[in-house]
Amino acid sequence: MPPEPLVLGFDTSAAHCAAALVQGAQVLSSRHIPLGRGQTEALIPMLEETLSEHQLSWSDLTAIGVGTGPGNFTGIRISVAAARGLALALGIPAIGVTTFAALAHPGDNAVLAAVQAGRGHVATQLFRPGQPPAPPAIHPLDQHPPVDDDVRISGDVAASLADILGRVILTPAHPLAEAIALIAAARRDHDGTRPTPLYLRPPNAARSTEPPVQILT
Amino acid sequence: MTHNLTVLGIESSCDDTAAAVLRCSPPGGEIMSSVVFGQGALHAEFGGVVPEIAARAHAEKLDLAVEQALGEAGCGLSDIGLIAVTSGPGLIGGVMSGVMCARGLAAGRGLPLIGVNHLAGHALTPRLTDNAAYPYVMLLVSGGHCQFLLVQAADRFTRLGGTIDDAPGEAFDKVARILGLEQPGGPAVEKAARDGDPHRFRFPRPLLDRDNADMSFSGLKTAVLRQRDQLITDQGGLYPRDRQDICAGFQAAICDVLSHKTRLALDIATGIAGANPPLAVAGGVAANSAIRSALTKVSTGLMAPPQRLCTDNAAMIAWAGYEKHMAGHADPGDLVPRPRWPLDDQSAPLLGSGKKGAKA
Repeated sequence: MPPEPLVLGFDTSAAHCAAALVQGAQVLSSRHIPLGRGQTEALIPMLEETLSEHQLSWSDLTAIGVGTGPGNFTGIRISVAAARGLALALGIPAIGVTTFAALAHPGDNAVLAAVQAGRGHVATQLFRPGQPPAPPAIHPLDQHPPVDDDVRISGDVAASLADILGRVILTPAHPLAEAIALIAAARRDHDGTRPTPLYLRPPNAARSTEPPVQILT
Repeated sequence: MTHNLTVLGIESSCDDTAAAVLRCSPPGGEIMSSVVFGQGALHAEFGGVVPEIAARAHAEKLDLAVEQALGEAGCGLSDIGLIAVTSGPGLIGGVMSGVMCARGLAAGRGLPLIGVNHLAGHALTPRLTDNAAYPYVMLLVSGGHCQFLLVQAADRFTRLGGTIDDAPGEAFDKVARILGLEQPGGPAVEKAARDGDPHRFRFPRPLLDRDNADMSFSGLKTAVLRQRDQLITDQGGLYPRDRQDICAGFQAAICDVLSHKTRLALDIATGIAGANPPLAVAGGVAANSAIRSALTKVSTGLMAPPQRLCTDNAAMIAWAGYEKHMAGHADPGDLVPRPRWPLDDQSAPLLGSGKKGAKA
């Protein structure tokens, strides 16, 4: 039997810095610090601490798991860029895991994973055991379409959304970074696709309003 | 400390994702590769660089640029001895992505990492391309910047003057936009100006009456807009001839201002440095051949790096990182992404103030 994959997972998609180290399905270490600013300085030292407390080094890793959001755009990019740099340096895959997938893990319940999307909106994705997840979508919090009776709500806006939809809350089985690392460790068939942020919103940009100039002949 | 060092440079502070491998051995460096992924097409329909679009592209392109740069240089990360990354000034989303990719690379390989000021990259380029000796005067002129610097050491820059509002590159883009020419505006305006009459329209040369090296370009943009609107009112549109003449007149005004202020900046620099320092130019607008020839008239020994090293690139970041490393000026604090980061923090700010401080 080959040794179980050693995976370091991390996430900075909201006002936190979170990391977890897993070996196969076993969580070796997990940390989460609330952090509004300074994620760029805090992330790598946190990852190094996580490794060194188990007398491990970067070269021991089998893969990187990285949270791709949705969440704070800058925060997601911080982790995704770091994960891609680490993967290139170490010659190992970086596997992107969405916050939705992390919330629904291990997937033995019908779960509506819900993440704040700003301006009174919520981003959600529905997971059902044994089925591919529904496409994610953004709705105003108070106008979210109804969900079936057996669906439970998970995520940072679970309380208010569960209230609005008349459903119960499901506490995630694992903290975010742990779930990210566990999912990445289980993804043996990873095709090498590099992680990309999940934005769910187009960039805020206005088309040029300059009227075209009439060129005479 | 070894003097021969292969440096990986990473740049992502505006709309170019760039990586380069530089083999450095004093007094110079050999560019093994210099990869630049431009984002022009992504921003074209918005008439300018959109920060969020730029940030998104950088985050997904940086590692690819690094891989390509290593591949073209025929080396691997095991051959790299130092990583240098732009940590400001610039659009913060791109800078952050670049710094984090570099941090990941450096951590994974146990390599030293150095944060470089983007403007220092431009300002030190003549040392890479022309073996320029200190001191020299650098006119840094691009879409985001316009300033004269007396470069006395890898970490000693004295600003002699600069724009108090827009940068010329921004004015070129704006003029192209209002005349219906393509973006980026620099090459488009230069091409149109080639067949134009620079004397038909007389555009303002602001601040020429002041005996300092400060400049202003926002009024020039407005003057061009007014002239265009006047022609449209009179004739219902613009003839190609009008467009060429406006471009020629506009470019002539820029050349006059830059030439005149360069003379003043050289005088000021002579006062500080004692001798007559040579002149160098860098930045995207330095690619304009009319401006280059105007500056050559001011200083015959003008050092103008090749175009691909005038516009944003990562070879200059690798070089500036190498110089900083050799001078023993590596500071972990310089890796904190900074949207604002003036090279000269002693002189009074020309742009930006208050809590956020000087822009550049």
